[in-house]
Amino acid sequence: MIYPTPAGPRYSRLRRFTLDIAITQVFNLIIAILITYVVRRHGGFFVNLVISMCIGTLATAFIDGGRLIMWGEQKPPKWKFVLLIIVSLPAAQFLGKALAAIMLGIPVEDMSEMRGGNATAMLIGAAVCSMFIIWFFWSREHIEYLRAEAEAEKARAASIEKQALQAQLQMLQAQIEPHMLFNTLANLKGLIDVDPPLAQRMLDQLIHYLRATLCASRSQITTLEQEFSLLESYLGLMKVRMGQRLSYTLELPDHLRHLSVPPMLLQPLVENAIKHGLEPRVEGGMITVRAERNGTRLTLTVCDTGLGLDNAPPSTGTGVGVSNVRERLQALYGTGAEFSLNPNTPSGVIAELAIPL
Amino acid sequence: MNMIRALIAEDEPILAHTLLQTLQRLWPDLQVCGVVENGIAAVQEALAQRPDVLFLDIKMPGKTGLDAAQELAEDWTEDVPFPLVVFVTAYDEYALQAFEQAAADYVLKPATEARLSKTVERLKARLSQHTERNAELERIVGQLRSLMPHVPASSERLGIIRAAVGNQIRMIPVAEVIYFEATDKYVNVVTAESESLIRTSLKELIPQLDPDTFWQVHRGTVVNVNCIQAALRDESGKLTLKLHGRPESLAVSRVFAHLFKQM
Repeated sequence: MIYPTPAGPRYSRLRRFTLDIAITQVFNLIIAILITYVVRRHGGFFVNLVISMCIGTLATAFIDGGRLIMWGEQKPPKWKFVLLIIVSLPAAQFLGKALAAIMLGIPVEDMSEMRGGNATAMLIGAAVCSMFIIWFFWSREHIEYLRAEAEAEKARAASIEKQALQAQLQMLQAQIEPHMLFNTLANLKGLIDVDPPLAQRMLDQLIHYLRATLCASRSQITTLEQEFSLLESYLGLMKVRMGQRLSYTLELPDHLRHLSVPPMLLQPLVENAIKHGLEPRVEGGMITVRAERNGTRLTLTVCDTGLGLDNAPPSTGTGVGVSNVRERLQALYGTGAEFSLNPNTPSGVIAELAIPL
Repeated sequence: MNMIRALIAEDEPILAHTLLQTLQRLWPDLQVCGVVENGIAAVQEALAQRPDVLFLDIKMPGKTGLDAAQELAEDWTEDVPFPLVVFVTAYDEYALQAFEQAAADYVLKPATEARLSKTVERLKARLSQHTERNAELERIVGQLRSLMPHVPASSERLGIIRAAVGNQIRMIPVAEVIYFEATDKYVNVVTAESESLIRTSLKELIPQLDPDTFWQVHRGTVVNVNCIQAALRDESGKLTLKLHGRPESLAVSRVFAHLFKQM
């Protein structure tokens, strides 16, 4: 298993390698002392130190260097790493001994004799030492990964929170825009005389819309049912205002009603469809909002027959809602979510987002 | 005195209905000759009906109330006085106080009955002064000129225009363009030898042109001043431009006529 890349490498590869080699020297020193004064082989401390340094440094160079070259700062795949160790240790043992022999000016054949001749014991000792050193490096690495991961997680949470706040702000600035509010109030004022029951209903919808929009960011999660009922209120208001020019359909299958979704993902898309597609179009048009389950994904579609992507009046600030939806999907699901805007035929836009269930 | 006639342009049916009813209550003598629900119909109906008063919602589909007013001012023939315009809007993003001189009035939605009756008083007073009425057109033209959306000049000046003609892209240096003419969804780029359509609007094109070289002379025409040979005024006061390199002449609307006063 490969761990996620920690946020920003702490060391460059070369610096890291140098540091590991330096730490290895400390272990080499300890091993030399142990061999000289505890195991009591002949040859003296200096000779043992040179041998231990040659073998130890080469082992680190092979294992650690190989790892950094092949996998960089990433956590290496376990079995490949074990294979690297199995190959590197005997190689380091053999080459290190040869190197030490050359440096000390002793023939290689004399080396094993000098170190006591018990090859099996030597090999086991070397293996134990190596394992200890490998374990040391491995756990140090592991701790660092855990820390980096925790940091990345914290940053991710912070960015989600930031975007939720931003969404709330934009909601307040853009969605309860004065035009929407005052026009709705003007309609209400007119309806009170002419059609009091409709005025009542419109007022209920306005209250629901305001409450949902103003409170949405306080809850991190909502159900599809709640989202659709908010859309119903918003589209109901717009229907009273636009009259014959607007028709709409909301399609939410029963089995998806209680599904949890982040709030305010659909609404910016619906408001965009109205604001840039249908409201500025002389003939008005139709809007369809649909929720569907496709295997393990939830697909939400907002489809309108308005002016379309190319023909919307330019200076009306298109893109705020869309970029906000994109950013939030990215923060919440990473690459697990998809979002697309496509032209509808014969006119209008199809906005589609898919999120994992 | 003849019946005073009014046209209402408002895209939201309930608001149109409410305005109509309130006006009938406050001003029983007023004859509302039509209610239209978009900017295009507003211009058509106003030119056809020649009302005395025009209630124009600003945010309408098809064309904004401001664009409709400008188009009317350009196309209005002076045998009938220009209507008194009352702008209606839900939100005063256009700083409508600036219109007070030109428009007869402006009203914020939802309007109280008291506010509307003030508007009615104002309209009545203005309609009774004939000299004032004849100056209405000039006043609104002046005001529209200063209020015309002041598009900030784009930092990127257009040097070459790429126009698709058949299956080739024609490269047209901007300096060779004699005039640009807006058609339905396109702009016609006219040089001495050629005419080519590009898919853009004049509104998007103008900020990318050098304002000293290219002058807007009509809502649908931008002309290269170096190619203007003369400006001619006919008996009715209409201005047309004669061009170097093109046989046709271009109409100058009254909104832009001030550009051709003698020095």
